[in-house]
Amino acid sequence: MLKMLNQERIVGAIAVVLFIGFSIGLSGFLSGSNILSLIQNVSILGILGIGMAIGIIGRGIDLSMVSTMVISVAWMLVMVNSGVNLWLALGLAVGFAVVVGIVNGLLIAYVEVPAIFATLAMGIVVYGFGKSFLIGQDVVYLPRDESWFYHIGSGQIAGVPNPVVVFALVALVAALFLKFTKFGRYNYAVGDNVATARITGIPVRPVIVAQYVLIAVIAVVAGVVVATAVTSMNTRLALSTQVYDVILVVVLGGIGLSGGKGGVRNVIVGTLLIGILLNGMTIMNLGYTTQNIFKSVILLAAILIDTMLNPRDEQTAQHGDI
Amino acid sequence: MTALLEMKQVTKEYRGVPAITDVDFRLEKGEIHALLGENGAGKSTLTKMMCGVTQMTRGEILLDGKPVNFLTPAEALDHGVAMVFQETSLVPSMTVAQNLYLGDEKLFNRIRRLNIAAQTFLQSMNFNVNPTATVASLGAAHKQMVEIARAVRKNVRVIIFDEPTAALTPEEKHHFFSLVERLKQRGVSIIFISHALEEALQIGDNITVLRDGALIETAPAKSFDRKRIIKAMVGRSIENSTHGVKRKFSRQGQDRVLSVQNVSMGTIVKNTSFSVYSGQVTGMFGLIGSGRTEVAKIIAGVAKRNFLNGGEIILEDRSVRYRVPRKAMQDGIVYVTEDRKAEGFFETMSISENISLGFQAAGLNKNAVVTRSEMKALAAEWTRSLNIKAIDSDASVIELSGGNQQKVVIAKSLVQKPRIVIFDEPTRGVDVGAIAEIHQLINTLADEGLAVVVISSYLPEIMSISDRILVCRAGRVVEEFDPLEADENQIMFAAVH
Repeated sequence: MLKMLNQERIVGAIAVVLFIGFSIGLSGFLSGSNILSLIQNVSILGILGIGMAIGIIGRGIDLSMVSTMVISVAWMLVMVNSGVNLWLALGLAVGFAVVVGIVNGLLIAYVEVPAIFATLAMGIVVYGFGKSFLIGQDVVYLPRDESWFYHIGSGQIAGVPNPVVVFALVALVAALFLKFTKFGRYNYAVGDNVATARITGIPVRPVIVAQYVLIAVIAVVAGVVVATAVTSMNTRLALSTQVYDVILVVVLGGIGLSGGKGGVRNVIVGTLLIGILLNGMTIMNLGYTTQNIFKSVILLAAILIDTMLNPRDEQTAQHGDI
Repeated sequence: MTALLEMKQVTKEYRGVPAITDVDFRLEKGEIHALLGENGAGKSTLTKMMCGVTQMTRGEILLDGKPVNFLTPAEALDHGVAMVFQETSLVPSMTVAQNLYLGDEKLFNRIRRLNIAAQTFLQSMNFNVNPTATVASLGAAHKQMVEIARAVRKNVRVIIFDEPTAALTPEEKHHFFSLVERLKQRGVSIIFISHALEEALQIGDNITVLRDGALIETAPAKSFDRKRIIKAMVGRSIENSTHGVKRKFSRQGQDRVLSVQNVSMGTIVKNTSFSVYSGQVTGMFGLIGSGRTEVAKIIAGVAKRNFLNGGEIILEDRSVRYRVPRKAMQDGIVYVTEDRKAEGFFETMSISENISLGFQAAGLNKNAVVTRSEMKALAAEWTRSLNIKAIDSDASVIELSGGNQQKVVIAKSLVQKPRIVIFDEPTRGVDVGAIAEIHQLINTLADEGLAVVVISSYLPEIMSISDRILVCRAGRVVEEFDPLEADENQIMFAAVH
């Protein structure tokens, strides 16, 4: 009975309860337009969350994700504004992100720098490099152009906002990828136990590099949605705490930081809960700081409940025979 | 009269799987109590509950007649119960004196005063250890002395030794026994876990035998003999056991598939050379720390030999140097680890996922996409051929018994179609029935023409399974024996002298 209660279900239940509570208690919450804006607002968090999840499942973490997103997309816009062809600029932006991902991966897999430090430093390097050499201003605006590309973040398809469509696509591709491809299975294996993965003959280091490249590419996708949703890219975003929100969504959904556990479903659940919560708190007119307190308390509670219900196996934690 | 330490109907479950069921245990003041049982019988679990490493699920532990339940080893130590582990719990980079007083440091410590105190204390126990030596520089026996000294210094009343003699040479063992006698005279009670029956008979006052997590017998050591102990330990499965059975034939090797020449790694492997032949089981015997595991890991690419003057490994007629196990695996060499929890299986995954990862890593599936039905079919094939007992192949590996876990680890390697298989302690922590099955499997592999290497520190196992026996000591293979002619004493002598 208790085994049924994993973190994913607990969080899902809390999300449902919150949703019902807000629907009854807050006027305007249940209106169609609010629900749409709710999903739209969290889509970006969700896309970033899926990237982060790939890393965390493989027992890594990428703190440079938001910097990569901001700098690559802002650079793309700078190039477009100075007359470079959109697709060439996009290609270069993706290329930049891939380079960042490869450097992250090489540092972590081959130099064996702990992921948290490597990516923390990388995030600062990427932001500093971008601001010094690639991007002059703080806020880069979208060019006046009616190409469909600039409506990725703002338009809708059959009544569904585009960011949601992108989120759904990324989620679907990532889910299939993680579940059925060789890389996906290897990623779980590396996250579960690196030593075992190595002895089994899994190419551990290439898998780790691939992880960070994937994360960086997903960051560009999220960046495109961000920029086209608000018609600009604010480089100060890289200095915000957004990356912690992303980790919050992933961990809240039940993807353990110890690796090897969880999947795309967990990210969706985590995103929904955070989305409902943020939306409700905004309607209630709570300040940013107050909202942060709620978020962090909920994160701690989710982790606590998960550790109590699904303790790490005693026998594995303490090496030795029975 | 109340016993010093008493356990009543103690049960321990790991995730609902009982490791210890309703065990009663009684330890008097100043007695030496030997705790015997096969791998997985529950000896370690029982003692870990006494000293606060794990907690019992049900039951009662009484110390001086008062119920206790230690939550941490530190709490147990405060009550005078200490455990000396197989793997020593000393800080290797610190000196002996620092280790002795670890946790009791004052705000300011004068190293000289610490050394003098340690020296006086060690002398009072007749230990010949230099207090200023770093622990890393000590041999196994001396490390153990330091551990014991540390326990005694805390004025403990109960010391639990987990396999204390496994890493010791006969002289060191002798020294250890006299030490235990002295502790006993001081009124300390001793629990002594061992594989070696003779030791238990020799120094134990009482003997308790566990099997499958249950208490089989407790009686004074005088009333036991070797036969009775074995019967109690092995019980029903005695006819299945191949341990200690003298071989009547041995296979001749076919081709020389692997030749290790002057391989060295740091201070652990020193200039060792030997060959491995196909169609034969090559047994490698050596005590802990003799470098046998490390040599195997170098061959399989898990560890790297010295870059300069590291020697050569020749596979068939080609010199090889593997950076990662993947390359070795692609050349047909697999290594089945001695520590399956740390590097043997994926604990969050099912049997079928574990086996299929081995399959995929070997590049044997043609598609990039892995379907569930393929995985299940593969797992079904291997659970059948290795007789893995589980509800179905979706069962999580962590919930299986030691023997079945080991079979999954073996299946994960064999699915890669190797030509050379290295088994490192293949039956450690495996139940009796599964030991016989694993031995059977090893024989079948050799009959099929594979080159099989079996590493073990358990002599009866080596004697019963090997076609030739290599003995390791101090980082190199020192002697080769024919199992049909050699006897246990000769082999043991080669391993320690």
